[in-house]
Amino acid sequence: MTQEPKLLEVSSQANYPYNYSAGRLLSFFFRALRDQQKIYGRKCSKCGKVYIPPRPVCGPCFAETNEWVEVGPKGTLECFTVVYFTFLDPMTGKKRPVPYGYGLIKLDRADTRIQHFLSLNDPRKIRVGMRVEAVFNEEREGKLSDIKWFRPVE
Amino acid sequence: MPWLKGEALKQQEEILVFKQVLQVPYLYSAGPVVSRFLLALRDEQKLLGIKCPKCRLVFVPPRSTCGKCFSDLSQWVELSGKGTLETFTVVNYPEPIQPAKTPFILGVIKLDGADTGLPHLIGEAEEKDLVMGMRLEPVFQEKRTGHILDIKYFRPVNKDRA
Repeated sequence: MTQEPKLLEVSSQANYPYNYSAGRLLSFFFRALRDQQKIYGRKCSKCGKVYIPPRPVCGPCFAETNEWVEVGPKGTLECFTVVYFTFLDPMTGKKRPVPYGYGLIKLDRADTRIQHFLSLNDPRKIRVGMRVEAVFNEEREGKLSDIKWFRPVE
Repeated sequence: MPWLKGEALKQQEEILVFKQVLQVPYLYSAGPVVSRFLLALRDEQKLLGIKCPKCRLVFVPPRSTCGKCFSDLSQWVELSGKGTLETFTVVNYPEPIQPAKTPFILGVIKLDGADTGLPHLIGEAEEKDLVMGMRLEPVFQEKRTGHILDIKYFRPVNKDRA
């Protein structure tokens, strides 16, 4: 065979559906996001550490958490990145438009951090330690994405 | 806070269930050897094998290296497409990436002139019609795209049909 072989590409789309129950505490957490636009953490009965997302048992002390504490909506940006090369969102199979900000936020009164998107009017103005606040979506479904993103506190 | 259980829990609290679909698109280059095989399916409705110059084994689908003696393979052979059913199974459990709706029959077909089994769908037959060793022939799709499913399925050779 002297002629150049033609090359083919094989494409495939695999969709893996799955369901999971959010359980009692996470359901409370997401209902509060959806219905009240409030963020709740869960406080350890022994050491007083406030977990967000909530968990039933404190990691270091093995004690049950027993109290809901409203946290945020303001918090402090602990670290961040500006994403220019994105991966596929596994929920939609699409890429989020770049650039977008992504950071770890420690909400006021919480002892753990959550990861979320950052509003990105000017990437150069994002700083570690800056004050940010949650912005909720108009239509909410009881998901973490009910928080649209965190924006700098004016 | 005491834990609520059973009915009390159901009445008082809405428990959320997340329904999610992980989507995994992918694309791979078939390479020169498999591309030639797929192009023959698409353009000529022909099945090609590739023969080892040293141990004489014929591979379908083709590969660039002999799995037995590691020789480079480049000698193409044209096959009739007809073959023998080596084994089969009925697939009843649906999975998202399957090529057909359940229940369907998956078989391994040893094509005439080939030394390897080709896994493919079996059509125009029910489980009770199938026996190992029976003769099968390929049925091609009307619209072919250069994909292994350009063969719709293999069906039993029917003397009346011929």
